[in-house]
Amino acid sequence: MYIKGVGMTKFDYSPKHWWQFAHEATIEALKDAQMNISQIDAIVFTGMSSAAGGEHQTHKVSFLSDLFKTNVPIIETPSVCGGGGAAFWTALNLLNNYNNVLVLAGERLVDNQSEVTVDYILSAAERVTEQTEGMLFPTQNALVWQQYMKKYGATMDDLSLIAFKNHSNAALNPKAFFYKKPIELEKVKASPEVSSPLRLMDCSLSVNGGAAVIVSKDPTDIKVIGSGFATDQILTFGREDLTHFKATKLASKIAFEQAKLTPKDINVAEIHDAFTSVELLSYEDLGFAEEGKGAELIRSGKINLNGEMPINPSGGLKAKGHPISATGLAQIYEIVNQLRNKCGDRQVKNAKIGLTHNIGGAGGSVTVHIFEKIN
Amino acid sequence: MIYYQCPKCQRIWQYPIDECPYCLIPMERKEGKGSKVIGSSKITIGSLNHKKVPYWGIVLEDDKGNKWPHKSMIEKNVGDEITYTANENAVSIWRIKYDPLTAIEETNKLLNFLPNKEDLKVLIIPQLDSPNYSYFRENTSPEFISAIIDFLIKNKIDSDKITVATQSFNQNPIEACAQKSGLLNACTKKGIMPFDLAQSTFVEHDGLEISKAVLDADLVINLPLLKGGESMATKNLFKVLKTNPINQKEAAEKLSTLPNIITIAEAEYTQRPNKTVIFTGLILGGKNTLKLDRIFSELVFHKQLPELVKDIKIEEIETNGRQIEEVRYNIESY
Repeated sequence: MYIKGVGMTKFDYSPKHWWQFAHEATIEALKDAQMNISQIDAIVFTGMSSAAGGEHQTHKVSFLSDLFKTNVPIIETPSVCGGGGAAFWTALNLLNNYNNVLVLAGERLVDNQSEVTVDYILSAAERVTEQTEGMLFPTQNALVWQQYMKKYGATMDDLSLIAFKNHSNAALNPKAFFYKKPIELEKVKASPEVSSPLRLMDCSLSVNGGAAVIVSKDPTDIKVIGSGFATDQILTFGREDLTHFKATKLASKIAFEQAKLTPKDINVAEIHDAFTSVELLSYEDLGFAEEGKGAELIRSGKINLNGEMPINPSGGLKAKGHPISATGLAQIYEIVNQLRNKCGDRQVKNAKIGLTHNIGGAGGSVTVHIFEKIN
Repeated sequence: MIYYQCPKCQRIWQYPIDECPYCLIPMERKEGKGSKVIGSSKITIGSLNHKKVPYWGIVLEDDKGNKWPHKSMIEKNVGDEITYTANENAVSIWRIKYDPLTAIEETNKLLNFLPNKEDLKVLIIPQLDSPNYSYFRENTSPEFISAIIDFLIKNKIDSDKITVATQSFNQNPIEACAQKSGLLNACTKKGIMPFDLAQSTFVEHDGLEISKAVLDADLVINLPLLKGGESMATKNLFKVLKTNPINQKEAAEKLSTLPNIITIAEAEYTQRPNKTVIFTGLILGGKNTLKLDRIFSELVFHKQLPELVKDIKIEEIETNGRQIEEVRYNIESY
């Protein structure tokens, strides 16, 4: 299984329709693959929001058939924040029957209909038990982080370092929301609390955007060598372990076993930092740090852009932006371009093996993919 | 908290399911004791349906290790216990979370409405106003009346001591309402045949012509379905009278003094004034229907109070269970 082409729009507040983001990303991916749409045998789309722009569309497959003037099978795999990874995993499995599969996402979330948008995003969590109790995503993750801090002794300063790192990286990424807008560490530390102890600067940024990836049976320079997908219960506090995401552990185990690699073999990774705390506990769930030692990794500088294994060189969800379903594919876009040495100022040196980690909800569905540059 | 556990594989669900998908055997319904705070986060930025800040998002744990979320408008710290004391004179407020039976049990803990007496005779007055399917939310739902009957049977009340009866105050035949709403089926499944209260004997009591069945019962459960912009708890209780009263407020006050009447009001889904339905996840209880209706209006943000309750001051009503601000939901927000 190989990557033929990748595409991604700028992540920002552009008032385009969801399908315009999907179209723009697809054109870039087709050009990158030196293909046209007639060579695509099937399409997997992922998306959740189309509330804005007067088009609430729940039959996007037919919309896309018209957009691309194609009659190939198109399936939609919504899995909210984890939609990109889930769609990519689905596409890889479709390669048993199809030669070239286009995976794409387009989201217009940020709009003046903010309540509708918030309601759509909240559909990634359980309503009757959790949301009625004011348990929205920042609070779920704040409470998980509280438990983690209590158990392992990490501090808010550790999360500040993660936010600072990701903002610094995004400042070098022309497609990131915070491109050329670095933020000082002291401003991160001084940002207001949203849900204690998490602060505004611990939260990722909702943006609009699209991303596309073309997977193929035909050998290319980028091989997908590991693909793991696992799920876990939606009730955040019904889980046995409140401090870690079991689904990440399971998905990464599958991916590493398929790749016949260990976490030490990874040169660069894009991790789902919907909240800085999620990035830190994911270091451990993915095997980059021992349990309880995630804070040591960020303190060491090893995962900074000039470190041994940079994490989130794109700026991550935190500072590149988080257009929900497009995020998982944008992570793949970054890793593919890192492995191809095409990332300019934020290029990771000698990156040969890369990893993406995409979460739906508060640890409810997780995909982990491992990519290798073939010379 | 109430949870469901497979007796064989010991897997746990926090919501009701009938059979374990691994062992294919019936689940056991169990209860953990206590509600200890193990995590507390102060929320300072309001969001959809939770606009009033600060509030505290807390995680509670019982003695079995079950954990669940809880909203509090007052600060709670790790180690605190959340407890409630029964208050028979208050309006109780609780949440329905997938399981009406659990919500009814919690309401009984808050109001202590079930008398400790052998051979208790219970009369249930459901709301039956229109011959419509239950999803229109115009009549007491089949799942709610099933749950109240289950609750009574679980408390050792024989089904032959339970009566379900009401009458029509409009042009809709009560039989058609009972059939279409699913209430007839729900009752007969429990071995109870509902009857038309209009066919009962009515007697003079405190200036009201009231069904003798009400006076003969040890416990009368008024079972309204609350609606936006209405005083349904009060209006449904009028069904125990021979006719709809002219002076409704006076009649409501008099009925509220009858010691054997309790109102258990369903508001899991609420019909709005424009007839559309929205999830509200609530159950209210109390002896005084006017106070209960006033609390409901406050909970769902009615700008214009229903005529019957417009003079009742919210701050003078004693509540028990969840605080109003913890569970308020603006039903006009969508």
